[in-house]
Amino acid sequence: MPEIRVTPLGAGQDVGRSCILVSIAGKNVMLDCGMHMGFNDDRRFPDFSYITRNGRLTDFLDCVIISHFHLDHCGALPYFSEMVGYDGPIYMTHPTQAICPILLEDYRKIAVDKKGEANFFTSQMIKDCMKKVVAVHLHQTVQVDDELEIKAYYAGHVLGAAMFQIKVGSESVVYTGDYNMTPDRHLGAAWIDKCRPNLLITESTYATTIRDSKRCRERDFLKKVHEAVERGGKVLIPVFALGRAQELCILLETFWERMNLKAPIYFSTGLTEKANHYYKLFITWTNQKIRKTFVQRNMFEFKHIKAFDRAFADNPGPMVVFATPGMLHAGQSLQIFRKWAGNEKNMVIMPGYCVQGTVGHKILSGQRKLEMEGRQVLEVKMQVEYMSFSAHADAKGIMQLVGQAEPESVLLVHGEAKKMEFLKQKIEQEFRVNCYMPANGETVTLPTSPSIPVGISLGLLKREMAQGLLPDVKKPRLLHGTLIMKDSNFRLVSSEQALKELGLAEHQLRFTCRVHLHDPRKEQETAVRVYSHLKSVLKDHCVQHLPDGSVTVESILIQAAAHSEDPGTKVLLVSWTYQDEELGSYLTSLLKKGLPQASS
Amino acid sequence: MDPECSQLLPALCAVLADPRQPVADDTCLEKLLDWFKTITKAGSSLLLLQENPCLVELLCHVLKPQDLSSRVLSFSLRLAGVFAAQEDCFQYLQQGELLPRLFGEPGPLGGAAWTAPSVRSGWIQGLRSLAQHPSALHFLADCGAVDTIFSLQGDSSLFVASAAGQLLVHILGLSMQGLAEGHPSLQAGDWPVCAQKIVGHIEESLHSTAVPQITQALNVLTTTFGHCHDPWTQVLWVRLSPLVGSLLEKDPVPAAHSLVDLLLSVARSPGLSSSSCGLWETLAQTLNHLSPTQAGPLALGILKLQDCPQVLRAQAFVILLQPLACVLKATGQDPGPSGVLDSATGDSLTVDVLLSSKAACVGLLCRTLAHLELLQPLPQRPCPWPQEPLLGAAVTLLQLCRGSASPASDVGRHLCALLLGCVRVQRAALDFLGTLSQGTGPQELVTEVFAVLLEYLRSPDSSPTVLKKAFQATFRWLLSSPKTPGCCDLEPHALLVLRELLPVLQKRLCSPCWEVRDSGLEFLTQMTRHWGGQAGFRHALLASEVPKLTEQLLRDPESYVRASAVTVMGQLSSQGLHVTPVSPEHPGGQQKSLLVELLHILSTDSEGFPRRAVMQVFTQWLRDHHADVAGDTEQFMARVLQVASQDLDWEVRAQGLELALVFLEQTLGQFHSHCPYAVTPPVAAPAGSLAQALQPLCRVRLFEFAFRALFDCDRPVAQKSCDLLLFLRAKTASSSGSLEESRSGPDVASVEAALQRWQAGDQGQPLGDLEPEVVAALDCSQALNEDSLMG
Repeated sequence: MPEIRVTPLGAGQDVGRSCILVSIAGKNVMLDCGMHMGFNDDRRFPDFSYITRNGRLTDFLDCVIISHFHLDHCGALPYFSEMVGYDGPIYMTHPTQAICPILLEDYRKIAVDKKGEANFFTSQMIKDCMKKVVAVHLHQTVQVDDELEIKAYYAGHVLGAAMFQIKVGSESVVYTGDYNMTPDRHLGAAWIDKCRPNLLITESTYATTIRDSKRCRERDFLKKVHEAVERGGKVLIPVFALGRAQELCILLETFWERMNLKAPIYFSTGLTEKANHYYKLFITWTNQKIRKTFVQRNMFEFKHIKAFDRAFADNPGPMVVFATPGMLHAGQSLQIFRKWAGNEKNMVIMPGYCVQGTVGHKILSGQRKLEMEGRQVLEVKMQVEYMSFSAHADAKGIMQLVGQAEPESVLLVHGEAKKMEFLKQKIEQEFRVNCYMPANGETVTLPTSPSIPVGISLGLLKREMAQGLLPDVKKPRLLHGTLIMKDSNFRLVSSEQALKELGLAEHQLRFTCRVHLHDPRKEQETAVRVYSHLKSVLKDHCVQHLPDGSVTVESILIQAAAHSEDPGTKVLLVSWTYQDEELGSYLTSLLKKGLPQASS
Repeated sequence: MDPECSQLLPALCAVLADPRQPVADDTCLEKLLDWFKTITKAGSSLLLLQENPCLVELLCHVLKPQDLSSRVLSFSLRLAGVFAAQEDCFQYLQQGELLPRLFGEPGPLGGAAWTAPSVRSGWIQGLRSLAQHPSALHFLADCGAVDTIFSLQGDSSLFVASAAGQLLVHILGLSMQGLAEGHPSLQAGDWPVCAQKIVGHIEESLHSTAVPQITQALNVLTTTFGHCHDPWTQVLWVRLSPLVGSLLEKDPVPAAHSLVDLLLSVARSPGLSSSSCGLWETLAQTLNHLSPTQAGPLALGILKLQDCPQVLRAQAFVILLQPLACVLKATGQDPGPSGVLDSATGDSLTVDVLLSSKAACVGLLCRTLAHLELLQPLPQRPCPWPQEPLLGAAVTLLQLCRGSASPASDVGRHLCALLLGCVRVQRAALDFLGTLSQGTGPQELVTEVFAVLLEYLRSPDSSPTVLKKAFQATFRWLLSSPKTPGCCDLEPHALLVLRELLPVLQKRLCSPCWEVRDSGLEFLTQMTRHWGGQAGFRHALLASEVPKLTEQLLRDPESYVRASAVTVMGQLSSQGLHVTPVSPEHPGGQQKSLLVELLHILSTDSEGFPRRAVMQVFTQWLRDHHADVAGDTEQFMARVLQVASQDLDWEVRAQGLELALVFLEQTLGQFHSHCPYAVTPPVAAPAGSLAQALQPLCRVRLFEFAFRALFDCDRPVAQKSCDLLLFLRAKTASSSGSLEESRSGPDVASVEAALQRWQAGDQGQPLGDLEPEVVAALDCSQALNEDSLMG
C-alpha cells in the first residue's frame, strides 16, 4: 500500500528547531534543518542519527528544502552537510540563499566568540554548504530527479520565505514553513493555489490567536519610541541587517513624516547599502505597494533615516539608532549600548530573539548589572523593551490557507501542543479532513491511493460517440472495454482490439442448464411450443426459431432433446453467455415452471 | 549546592508544581536537569534531598491527578532517576514508596499522561539513570518495568523506541556485571532473572514473523556486542547464533539492514570473532543471501575487518565490485588482468537491479562507489587492488552520464539511457576518481582520466557541484602525475593537460554562477600553492588570461568570490606571477598596485570575508618579506593596523593582531632570541637598544592597536592581544630594568589613566604618542599585570 510518512525531528509540538522528514512514494525529503539556539551543546542540532541509521545520508535523502533564512530553520545546515556528511542538493529561494550565509556566519561568530566553542562549523564549511544550494524561483517547478519535483510559493514571513510543494507522480505534500496571511509593511501575504495535496504540513505558532495584533504592536512600538524621544532620551534598536529592520524603518519614517518629528534617526554604516542591495535584487519578493512605489522612488531610501557615524553616539539630545548586530553581542550595537546604558532616559528595544550568552539575552532576562569584558560591571539603567514583530499566520490565516490548498489531510508543526489540539479540532470540524500533530520522533503514516493514468483507444471512444451520447463531465457514464498493460502503460481498448494487440484467440464462456419438461411430443414440437411461449412472454426481446430447431433469445440458445430413459419427458438444454446472465436465469426459471397448455 | 541556590529551590519547585505557571521555554527544564546532574555528580544525592525537602515534595506532587504539563512530569521522572542513581538515595526514596509510584503501574504508566511521548521518554530516561546498582535491578524486576520496556521498543516515537532498546542493553549489561564478578564460569541457566527475561524476549522476537520485532531484537544485540566484550557475551552469542542464522533461511531475509549491523558488530568483537560458532560461515552465507544493495555494506564491513579469513574477504570483494564489473562488461570492456573483476562479472542479479529502474541503478552505483572510496585508502584494502579496471569503470560511468560512451550491448545502451545526465552518479564517480589518484595507472588510462575530467570541466551542462568535484579530482590527478626525478615541476604530460585546462578555467572564472567562479579560484589557489615556483606552470599561467581575470574578480559582486580572488592574487603576487600592468590610459604611470587595491578592499568592502582574506594575505606577505611590503614595512604596518582597528568584524581585528605579532617577531627577532634551544645564550640587551628596537613598533602605533584590542568587547581579540603583550613582556623583561625609573614619569601616568578609561569602556580618547620608554614601563606596570591580562 503506498503511503506518505512524516517524522518531525524538530518542530513536532514545539517551536524549537524545525526539521521534518517526509517519505513520499519512495522519495525522502528533509524539510528545514534548523538549530535550537537555546542550547550550547549537541542538543542544539536535530538528532540526525535516526537518519544515518538507514545507511549513508546522501543515499537515503533525495534532497533538503529550506523554507527561509531564520536559524531555527537553517542553522544546522552546515553541520548537516559538512560535518555529518550530507552531499546531496539543498533547495531554497534566491533571497534565502543570499541571506542565509550572513546569518550563519553571524551565529558562528557568537558561538566561537562568546561561548568559545571550538568544535563548530567554520566559515569555509558555510561556504561549501552554500555551494550545494540550488536556488529556486517562485512558482517554478524544479525537477529534483525524474520523479520528484518541487515548487515554491510565496510565504510572506520574511524576505524570500517560501512554502514548498513536493510532488512525486500524483502524490504531493505541501510544507508551509513559517508564513503570514496578511500583508505587512514590506511583504505581501502568503498565497498558494488549489493544489489539493495529500497532506498539508502547516506551522501553527499562533494556533489559538484569532486576531492579528500586529497593528497594536506597531502602535506600541511607535508610542514607546516617541515617548523616549520626547523626554530627550536616545533609543537603540539592535537589528539584524535585513528583514524586520527595513519594516521598522518604514514604520518610523512614515511616523516621523506624519508627526513632523525632528529627532534624527540613524542606521548602521554600510548596512543601508547592503540592505538596499538585497531589496533591489529581490524587489519582486516585497509587497505590491513597495513594488509600485519602487518605480518612482526606492522605499528603502529614507528621508529621515541617515547613515550612522561612530561619533554621533556622543551627540547631545534625542536620537534613534538602528545598529547591528541584533543580539548586542558585539560590534556597533554593543558599543552604543555601553555608552547609553547608564542613562535612565534612554531606551533599548529588542525586536527579535536573543541567543543565550549574549548581552541581549541577559538584559531581556532582567539582568541590570552586566559583567563586561575586562571584569568591569556595566549598570543598565536604560529602559529595556522587547517587541516581537515576527509575522506568523493566526488561526484564521491557517484556516484560510487550508481552505485555499484543499488538502486531503493536515499535519501541524511548529507550535505548542495545547494550542495545536485546539486548531486540530477546528480543522477537522470545518474541513472534515484528518489533522495530525506528531511529537518529535513520532511518525505519522498516511495511506494514499495512487492515481494511475489510463489511456483510452480512439476506436472505443468513437464507438461510444456512435451511440449518440456526447461526453459530459457532469454525467459520468459506464464504458465497457478491456484494460491492457503494455510497455508499463495502461490502456482501455475494445475487447477485439485487445485480442488483436495481445495476439490472443477469443474464448467464449457459456452457462448451461438442463430443464426437464413433461411433454410426450416430439422434440421439434416441444421446441415450437417453447418458441411460442417465449415469444408471447418476452415481447421486447428478439426470439427466433432457427431452421435446425433450436430457439434463441439474444445470446441464449435453447435446444430440445429426448430423455434417454423417459420418453414422456423432454430435456431443454439452455445455454447463455455471461453478458445475458440475468436473462438466462430468468428464462430457466420461466421454463422450469412448465409450458402453458397448448390451446390448439 | 551553594546557599543562594538552596534558598531559591523551594520557589523553583513551587513554580514547577503549579499548572497555572506553564514553563514557556522548553530548554530551561533541560538545563535545570543538567545542573542537578552536576550537583549529584559532585556530592551526595541523599544529603541533597534531606537538606532540600522541597525536591521530594515536588516528586510527590507531580503524581497527584492534576492538569500538570507533560514536560514537568517528564522532567520529574528524569530527576527522580538522577537522584536514585546513588544507592543510598534510592533506598531513601524507596522508603517513601515514591519510586514504585513514579515508575510502577500506579504511576503515570497507567494514566492519561502516558499518551504524551515526552512522558514515556522521561520514564525511560529516569530508569536509565536509576539503573546503576543491584537494588535497582530488583526494583526493575519487581515493578514489572522490563515488560513495559519491551513494549516500548515498538513505540510510535522513534526517540522512545530507540531509548527503550538502549535501556534493555544497559539492564542486561548491569545484571550480567554482577554475575560475572561472582561466577567466572558462565552457564546461561544461572543468569539473573532480568537477564534471562531479556534474553528470552530476544529469542521470542527472533522466532517471530513480524519484521519490526526481529529488527528490535537484532538492534539490542548489535548494541550489546558493540559495547560489551565480557565473556558472557560469548555465551549469549553461542546461544543465539543458530536463531540469527535461521533468519537467512527466510526469503526475503527479514530486517537485512539490522542483521548486517549485528553480524559486523559480532565480527568486530575480539572475543566473539575468535570463538568457533561459525561466524565466518554465517557471514559468507549472508553475503550470498542478500540482494546486491543489501550486501554492499556487509561486504565493506568485512573488508574493513582486521582479521578475517582470506576466502571471505575475496567473496566480499567480488560482491562489492559486481556493479562496476557489470558496467565494464556492458560497455564491452575488459575487466582487467587481475581477475578480481573478472570473477565478479557473472551475477545476473546485479544486472537485474541495475536495469530495474533508474532509482535502483543510481542507488546501487552510488553506494558501490562510496564503499570503494572508503576502502581505497585503508591499509587492509584487498591486495592486489584492481586499480586499472576501477579507473576504467569510473571513467566509463562518467562517460555514460555524459552520453559520450557508445556501448554496443543492449545492457550498455539501457545503462546509458538510465544514467544520462545523472548528477548523483557524476558526483560519486568524480569523488571516487579523485581517490583513485592515490594509485597509478598506465599512461593511456591516465590520459583518458584527464580527457573525461576536461570534458566535464568544459561541458556547459555540468552543474556547479559537479564542476567543483571535477576541479578537485583534476587537482588530485595533477598532483599524482609522475614526477621527473630531482624536479618537482609538472611532468610533460601534465603540462599539456594544464595548457588545455587554463582556457577552461578562464571560461569558468567568467561563469554567471558564483559557485563556479569560486570553485575555479579555489582550484587556482591550490595549483599556485604547489607549482607557483615551477617554470612550466609559470609560463603556461602567464601566457593565459587567468591572472587578469582573477584580478577582475576582486570586484566580484559576490563576497565569497572576492575573498577567494584576494587569496589567489596574494599568492600570485608572492610567487611573482602578478605583474602590475602599465595602464594604457597613463602610459607613463602604472595602474594601482595590488597592495593599494587590497588596502582599498580592507577599508571599504562591506563583507567580512574579503577583508579577512586581505589580512591573511598581508600576514603572509610580511612573513615572506614580499617586495611591496618590504619596501616600507613601517608605513605598510601603520596603514593596515589603523584600518584593521576600525573594523567591525572581530576576526579582522584578531588577524590584525596576528599581523602585529609577526611584525613584533621580526622587529625584536635580532634583538633577543625567544627560542629556548637557541645556540647563542640570551644576553640582556642594553636599554638603549631596547628602546631602539621598540621605536618602530611605536611608530606604526602597534601598541595603541594592541591596548585597544585588550579591552575589545570580543573575547578572541582580547585574548590575542594578551598573547601579544605577554610575548612582548617576555621579550623585554630582562632588559627593562634600566627603564624602571621611567615608570613614575608623567607620560606613563597619563597613559595608564587613559588605559583605565578604555577599560571602563570609553575608548574615544586616543593614547597619544607612545614613546618606547613608556611602553616598556607600562609593560611592567600594574595595569598590565598577568592577572588582568588573563582576566
